[in-house]
Amino acid sequence: MSTLERVKNIFQKNYDFPVEMIRPEATIESIGIDSLDKVDFLFALEKEFNITIPDREVSLNSIQDIINIIERLVHEQNGRSNHKDA
Amino acid sequence: MRRVAITGMGIISPLGNSCESFFNSLAAGKSAIKRITTDFSEHFSGRIAAEVNFVAENHFPKQIARTLDRVSQFALAAASQAWMDAGMQLSEEKKRRAGVYLGTGMGGATTLEDSYDQLFQQKVKRLHPLTVVMVMNNAAASAISMQYGLKGPCLTFSTACSSSTVAIGEAFRLIKHDYADVILAGGAESLLTRGIMMSWESIGTLALEAEDPSTSCRPFSKDRTGFVLGEGAAVLVLESWNLAMTRGAHIYGEVVGYGSTADGEHITKPSVEGQSFAMKAALHDAGMGSDHIDYINAHGTATVANDVAETQAIKNVFGRRAYDIPISSTKSMHGHLLGAAGAVELVAAVLALKNRTVPPTATLAVPDPVCDLDYVPGKARTGVDLRTVMSNSFAFGGTNAVLIVQKHE
Repeated sequence: MSTLERVKNIFQKNYDFPVEMIRPEATIESIGIDSLDKVDFLFALEKEFNITIPDREVSLNSIQDIINIIERLVHEQNGRSNHKDA
Repeated sequence: MRRVAITGMGIISPLGNSCESFFNSLAAGKSAIKRITTDFSEHFSGRIAAEVNFVAENHFPKQIARTLDRVSQFALAAASQAWMDAGMQLSEEKKRRAGVYLGTGMGGATTLEDSYDQLFQQKVKRLHPLTVVMVMNNAAASAISMQYGLKGPCLTFSTACSSSTVAIGEAFRLIKHDYADVILAGGAESLLTRGIMMSWESIGTLALEAEDPSTSCRPFSKDRTGFVLGEGAAVLVLESWNLAMTRGAHIYGEVVGYGSTADGEHITKPSVEGQSFAMKAALHDAGMGSDHIDYINAHGTATVANDVAETQAIKNVFGRRAYDIPISSTKSMHGHLLGAAGAVELVAAVLALKNRTVPPTATLAVPDPVCDLDYVPGKARTGVDLRTVMSNSFAFGGTNAVLIVQKHE
């Protein structure tokens, strides 16, 4: 499954917004997520990908930014396996 | 001083998630107490509780539900019912004179316990970022004020089992003395978690499971063994009489008296004197004598300590007339909702007024010579002309609170 698909799945599990809104170019604000929701969402991403997103990285604007960072952090922090529970 | 009307009520309870289903069950003497189904029930002996049947996603969008502990979900759902029931619509200006007064014993304890489990058992590195705002005791009240944009006082009262009676009583005073016009007042509790249930088990006040689990809580009965934990919420719309009349609102009744005292003696042992003073204070507040009360919804926890003390306190306050007043403990059916108990029981008392029906102490089968008042054993009484009802709440920590509501005719 692609990173985008997995991000979409998390979104679908936790929010009632239409999943079509999750496009690479969409900004987080345009989806209707406020700053507190964003922290919550990043936490869900950390669990899904078994990564730690450093605080300085959270100035993320678009879904594509998120995907890029996830893929980089997965590679750096967790190159052996993407799944904690796998 | 202004008069205070009850114009809306909402409830999430083990006996149903509407006032109608709640009172129908009470009137039928139906108990919601049963064996719990959770995976931790094997770890302790008291495997009974009064659970609420509640699916958050039927009430809120996922993005709201996931930010609220179960206790706040209950509170918000009960408040929504009450708000709609009252037909409340407030201008931005009026919202500055509207607020929320809520009682809870332990707030978001479910989330806290879950966090500890993750931290200490599952050894997670980080906790959920919303843990603080889900656990804090004022989360439920805040969720309600946010839902309706209310800008008046938003306060949380925590006095264990009398929390929501205190919240409603203080809201009554606030409106009476012209500090606010509308208060959503009540309480919420959700503590059916492994740690909390085992804590209650340890202190030794929980009922043993009866052969028919639904009859395990037996207030005022000689064979009582303690209370059964419940969960839920109830919220009432209190508003100034003038506003209610101007709006043409339906008025369930008028809050006429509130009394609050502290035992100042012992952390768990109830005081006959403290309870008597609270009832007397409420009667004094209402300008009423002992002849005026037609029904008492007792605190009636089914512990020996409470039932004997409460019986004696009622005798102290009402004298000979104590024997003529129907008194019941609806905890026999919905369990002990702790911080939400007073609000849920006030709703029961107000619905008793409305339906001219005294709900029973459903499980009282063996009379106790020490508890010799009329506890309405077994079956409800219908067609009873009730005008004024009293609801008692007493608590660990010693805060006693009593409310009196009069029918509006």
